[in-house]
Amino acid sequence: MPPFKDDQIIIISPGSETTLAQLGLPESFTPAAFRIRSRMFPGEKAGEWEPNKIRKKGGPGAHGANGSTNGDTEVVYEEDFMSEEGAVWPIAGGKIVNWSCFFALMTHVYNTLNPPFHTPILLIAQPVWTMKDHEKITQFFFERFKMPAFALMDSAVATMYAYGVQSATVIDIGKGKCDVTAISEFLTHEAGRTVALENAGGEAMTKRLLEVIKPKDKHFSRDMAEQLKKSPICEILPVGTQLPGPASGSEEAVSNPAAAASTGAAGSGPGQRDTGTALGAVPLGPGPDTVVGDEANGDDESEGVIDVASIVTGGKMQEYLAKKEREKLEKDKNKKKNAADAAAANIAKPARLPNSKREKGTFMYEDHKLLDTLKEMNLSKGDLAEMRERLDEGPKSKAGTAEETTNGDATSPVASGLAKAGSIKREIEVGTERFQAVSGGILESIADAVHKTITSVEEVNKRSELWDSLIIVGNGAKIRGFKDALMSLLQAKYLISPSSATIFTSELPSTISTPAGTGANTPQPQLGPHGGSGVNPLLLAATTAQNPHMMHPGQSTPASMHSHNMHSSHGQTPTSIKIAKVPEYFPEWKEVGYDESTFLGAQVAAKVLFVVDQGLGKGYMTRNDWNDSGPTGIHDFAI
Amino acid sequence: MAVPNANTAPLSEYAGDEVSALVLDPGWSTTRAGFAGEDAPKSVIPTHYGVSSSDSRLFFGENAIHSPQANLQIKNPWSADGIVEDWDTAAKLWEYSITSRLTGPKPTHPEKNGLNDDPNGEAMELDAQEEVEKPLTENPLLMTEPGWNPVKAREKYIEIAMEDWGVPAYWLGRSGVLAAFAAGKASALVVDVGANITSVTPVVDGIMMKKGVQKSPLAGNFVSNQIRAMFKQNQVPLTPHYMVSSKTAVDAGAPSQATYKKFETAPPASYRRLQEERVLTEFKESVVQCWTGPGKLSNGTNEEIAKSQPPRPFEMPDGWNQVFGLDRFKVTEGLFDETAALEDDENAKPTKAQTIPAMIQAALNQVDVDQRPHLLNNVVVTGASSFLPGFNDRLNAELQGMYPSPRIRLSAPGNTIERKYASWIGGSILGSLGSFHQMWISKKEYDEHGANIVEKRCK
Repeated sequence: MPPFKDDQIIIISPGSETTLAQLGLPESFTPAAFRIRSRMFPGEKAGEWEPNKIRKKGGPGAHGANGSTNGDTEVVYEEDFMSEEGAVWPIAGGKIVNWSCFFALMTHVYNTLNPPFHTPILLIAQPVWTMKDHEKITQFFFERFKMPAFALMDSAVATMYAYGVQSATVIDIGKGKCDVTAISEFLTHEAGRTVALENAGGEAMTKRLLEVIKPKDKHFSRDMAEQLKKSPICEILPVGTQLPGPASGSEEAVSNPAAAASTGAAGSGPGQRDTGTALGAVPLGPGPDTVVGDEANGDDESEGVIDVASIVTGGKMQEYLAKKEREKLEKDKNKKKNAADAAAANIAKPARLPNSKREKGTFMYEDHKLLDTLKEMNLSKGDLAEMRERLDEGPKSKAGTAEETTNGDATSPVASGLAKAGSIKREIEVGTERFQAVSGGILESIADAVHKTITSVEEVNKRSELWDSLIIVGNGAKIRGFKDALMSLLQAKYLISPSSATIFTSELPSTISTPAGTGANTPQPQLGPHGGSGVNPLLLAATTAQNPHMMHPGQSTPASMHSHNMHSSHGQTPTSIKIAKVPEYFPEWKEVGYDESTFLGAQVAAKVLFVVDQGLGKGYMTRNDWNDSGPTGIHDFAI
Repeated sequence: MAVPNANTAPLSEYAGDEVSALVLDPGWSTTRAGFAGEDAPKSVIPTHYGVSSSDSRLFFGENAIHSPQANLQIKNPWSADGIVEDWDTAAKLWEYSITSRLTGPKPTHPEKNGLNDDPNGEAMELDAQEEVEKPLTENPLLMTEPGWNPVKAREKYIEIAMEDWGVPAYWLGRSGVLAAFAAGKASALVVDVGANITSVTPVVDGIMMKKGVQKSPLAGNFVSNQIRAMFKQNQVPLTPHYMVSSKTAVDAGAPSQATYKKFETAPPASYRRLQEERVLTEFKESVVQCWTGPGKLSNGTNEEIAKSQPPRPFEMPDGWNQVFGLDRFKVTEGLFDETAALEDDENAKPTKAQTIPAMIQAALNQVDVDQRPHLLNNVVVTGASSFLPGFNDRLNAELQGMYPSPRIRLSAPGNTIERKYASWIGGSILGSLGSFHQMWISKKEYDEHGANIVEKRCK
């Protein structure tokens, strides 16, 4: 068999939302050439699938006009590239839930790539796939595509290839799930691995947004929540950050004395904590007299988000459009007035505040439902365009914001291009709810999963390096501020601070309370050994631990921690939590970010497996292997 | 005439013997499952499960039992004696351990999914019996059982496998024997320090000496309870992670200044206990140590020596921290010396016969005299609780003290996976042997002879 070449390798990375694929490895690795939405539409017959929605052109109305019988009606089919109505998503939470659809999707991806003969395939496997699933997939690929070699690689392992590290904790936030994998020295720890943690992905965040906004605005739809999540105004603030606005006190994430303590109210008793947060609240967030407040008042008239689609179908289109015109004029007027007010009152414009400090924010909403409705109405092309023109608020706003809006979008370049041309954009304003995408336990359950996964690694001494190289990937983690928020939560909850007890001065076995650095009195330790005779163990500890620092209690520095960790392999972790360093030598990846670095890793791995290693390390299954051992043989090759 | 290729010939022969049996090794703390021939179980799930107190739905798996919910009761199907108590749940849990990561679930038959329960539906049940999709019809199954499993329980095992899961062939192995296999020994004295039970199993020529099997509750949970008792004595607050939303660094021994989470209804006590156990496990891993001997901790100056060793700090999830000196030795001393065990109203004092040295002695007394030196030369230590630092040294010292003349050799794999999952690995080796199909009980044999066949075939 001739050796494989760089330009003859297929990489497919299926996901619940998006499937990434590429044919050939470029000189410098680039983000996936194809981003295909992981969904198919049921075809004419059961078991047949179409990549795009097929719409019948000429509905019942057209039939009547033709006057012909049903038998010879010429039904014109039209492919609708944007609508996702009635789509079937074969992968949910990483699991393959609809096999025939999944195979159709893989076939569609393969055909889109249109590879030449002699092209090996590397498939990135989801951790949740069972061994039986691997066998099924292997069988399908060999039988359908007849490729010369097939490799199956776990997504966490692939991510490791991208980062080029030997030990890491990979946190993969997907659509409906989150996987946390501890890999130390290239060895995946299967036993404690968190696989497909539910309600911890992008979908859960969307749901949460909808949940918090819905009570305030009953027209707010799931689709809007989804787009809000992807817009730059949706942000996750680090643990303990005060939400802007006066009405934010109700949130549990806010009442965080730790942050209050660290901002200067240290040592405050439980009673003082509330004042601490209250003090913090004052400078933040615009009050009711500010411009933000005014705008909010003005908007009350429009009664939140309007379900335009239902207006359109209800036939009140013209009225609505007229009303909109009026509103726009008023708004313009208001704006001028506001601007004058602002200038007079000398208040900073809200636009200058960072997003996290603003109480309200607006985003562009692409109303697919409205577009669908318009299409269903069988308007002529001209009418449709005109309607679209009049309903669309997008172009009227600054081009910059529109650009930003689509930045976070996970659709393929082609699809998003189309969407831009054909979609109807509306401006929607939301309050501080936009900061609560991961409230309600989502972030906590991810953090807990990380802790659980790392503590289930049996080798205690390997844990600290796992804590020191966290890798957060997946498009669910794309939401602004997510990584920082997760890190801050991990640090607030799990970080072990250097114990002041390892410094010998702080723990003299005395009954006299020693004043500590924080002002609190050290209580009399009732620990058994201290009262006993003999050498004070702490004195010994201090001397044997080679700790030369004679420090004042409470002023412990990280140095003392290191010394305590050095004399024993045992010790609690984490004493530090860090994110692994991202590989910076791929300029194309640098631009788009490393949320999909699993795919980058897949490219590195493909190069190593198919080109460098050429099968010596049994990295892939060849056709011969397949012929010899059948589907179960894949377990000898799967990585 | 095609000459068989040197590379392919052994492969195809191997594939001929390949039966891809499943190996299931249920334990008190974790349930291990995987395909025979692998070097580690692919599926390790907690044996604890959650029951919703409102609709008594069952929750299995790591992800499901760790989220704090007001109505999630945490339970364990095993009894304190190391025998399965709740068979229905155990069967479901075991099935989950295999289907969740290995084979994938089969759709539940409409008759069995609980939607069509009809008290008068007997006729329907009969004719539908043939078509019931059973979850594990494809692979032979090898299961492990503790050496003290009563006949009733053994019969129940095979019943579940054959009737509920529809396995084509089945074999039941003693976990002690399999652990000896994993260590590559046909004769050994297996000391298995698990979560709930510590057992000593003499194995001679691959056969378990049933009379010699000893078990006692002085295992991982015992150490946990000792730690709890020590915490109570020293007024150490034990706060699990889920109750804390963020912590602040405080001085050693100072009360914690953490922010606690508010729950409308606090999760049940059983949930809290499971989460506390996570903290205790961390404590055991990072602080606790066995006194390495020679002699007991209370002997002579031993306590002084232990005291002189540097104490270890520990920080609770809420930030409270302290160093532990002699106490970190004391909590394990009860495993070897019943008089040293801490006792309070929750923890009764263990008896002398329950300590590990006494159990080994009792086990050896049941074995032929001329076998004893051989067994003492092949002491296999397994079980996750044997990872307590100093445990092996202490065990060695105790054995040297009791049996000064013969050579004593402890064999404890340094590899954590091999030590933790020794019986599973033994099962994996046995299940991948070509001769496994001569041992197993086929479906046909089971149908002919009934459940009692395990007594004859799986000694």
